[in-house]
Amino acid sequence: MNPETRNRWGLPDLGIGIGLRTVHYPHILEKKPDVDFFEVLSENYMDTGGRPVWVLDQVAARYPIVLHGVSLNIGSADPLDREHLSKLKSLAARTRAHWVSDHLCWTGVAGRNTHDLLPMPLTEEALRHVAARVKTVSDILERPLVLENASTYAEFTSSSMPEWEFFGRLMEDADCGMLLDVNNVYVSAFNHGFDPEAYIDAIDPSRVTQYHLAGHTNKGTHIIDTHNDHVIDPVWQLYRRSVARTGNVATLLEWDADIPDFDVVHAEALKARAYRRKEKAIAAAAS
Amino acid sequence: MPQPPLDLGLPRLQRWMQAVIEQPGAVDDAIVAETARAELEPSEIERVVLPSKTLTAVERVGVYQGMYLLRMVEALEGDYPAVAHFLGDEEFADLVTRYVAAHPSTSYTFNRLGKRFPDFIRQSRGVRRKAFVADLARLELAVTEVFDAPESPAWPADAIAKIPQGAWEGAVLKPIAALRLGAYAYPVNAYLQSVKQENHDHPDVGRRATYVAVWRKRYEVWRLDLSKPAHDFLDALAKGRPFGRAVASAAKGLQGGAGEQLFRWLRDWVAEGMFEGVELSR
Repeated sequence: MNPETRNRWGLPDLGIGIGLRTVHYPHILEKKPDVDFFEVLSENYMDTGGRPVWVLDQVAARYPIVLHGVSLNIGSADPLDREHLSKLKSLAARTRAHWVSDHLCWTGVAGRNTHDLLPMPLTEEALRHVAARVKTVSDILERPLVLENASTYAEFTSSSMPEWEFFGRLMEDADCGMLLDVNNVYVSAFNHGFDPEAYIDAIDPSRVTQYHLAGHTNKGTHIIDTHNDHVIDPVWQLYRRSVARTGNVATLLEWDADIPDFDVVHAEALKARAYRRKEKAIAAAAS
Repeated sequence: MPQPPLDLGLPRLQRWMQAVIEQPGAVDDAIVAETARAELEPSEIERVVLPSKTLTAVERVGVYQGMYLLRMVEALEGDYPAVAHFLGDEEFADLVTRYVAAHPSTSYTFNRLGKRFPDFIRQSRGVRRKAFVADLARLELAVTEVFDAPESPAWPADAIAKIPQGAWEGAVLKPIAALRLGAYAYPVNAYLQSVKQENHDHPDVGRRATYVAVWRKRYEVWRLDLSKPAHDFLDALAKGRPFGRAVASAAKGLQGGAGEQLFRWLRDWVAEGMFEGVELSR
């Protein structure tokens, strides 16, 4: 772990991690690969008492774990789902998770779940609504919630501020952390026509608890966040730019579709390690 | 001339967008669906959603709408691979479309999405070989439930020998949580096995009564075809019938040597880890 971590809660730089995926269970259990940490999709382990939790227990006994959710529904007009939160808290305790993250989005309303990360209107009303809910969730979980910027494909005319400003004010108002998904910044910048570097430069570095990196699919007219390929160079460059501001922060490679062998995913993750080292060397040379 | 922006407020905006997303078919049809129009008239959409340089406002919402059903089909295909294989991509997607319209996900987890799928198939019109497909779905639901059931320690295989002879009559066996028994009107287990083996040499799926136990052992799901007497005996034990009564009932359906046969089955099932213990009457 890197003692130079700059986030305000002193949460550790866990190094370079990858997402725990079913197809890799046998490899991980047998080979015990040299991975700094694993990120676990929370909802996949909440409602099962079978093999997934058995594997998770083995992995958590050996590696640091962080939880990452997709159904917190923090931006919804619906009430918070207390059953979900209760199970999330239990899972965090079971895995001794270093932190718990989800997305700035809504996933459903009127009691339904579309199982998608739907875009928020970036309004004062939405900001107040989400900030209050983040505080509630943090109180229940007894730890600061960490929220990720989702890739978005639509914007609303009612939005009165850019996403980075919304995020900045939310983090101040609700005292939460940010999982900065650099690929999502790139995707949303392409889809909405903003400058991704402006986004990166506007984020308070002391709030960045974790990075996500991933591949995507460029449809020409828009980009979809598919997590099915290698990270493209412009995204690596955004990562380099952000790391220069935040210092080395726990970084995770996501690969969720067309998942290749563990070693391929691991090799892609290790590219991030090289970027981090380069960044440290640059900083050392500059000083 | 561009129209002025329209702020629907968070609840109404979300109700409208979800109504559009949940509609099957083309997004142009989705925006005029009754549930969507109840929140926002199609002519007002550009007052709510910004176009990009390359996509119209409707097309941008269509990115989300187009992915919704694909996600639902993928999730249910994971739980019901044999049903999906039997029906083929198009018919399965059509079935899922109708199913999620009737039973949209209401949980944080996909695990619960398919709970009503077998009953839905049974009550649906226009499903090819509906009775067989509903039976097959019932077996696949049992597999999913067993996969996710809580873990319970199995009764040791040698424990039977430790039960005093006189205690058997009133003994009540407790099944593990990850055990399901099913009686089917079709050879669904044979069909599921052929799909899992990817050999495309599917069995004849004509009407024929079959009985299947699904259980979990060392975190793996197993399936076992049973005869009717074996199913009835195991079913009675799993439902908590005292051993003596379960034996008496099961023996009626067997020829000579029934007691020995029943004990042999019991030993096999205990060895397979289908029970977690026994309660002896005092």
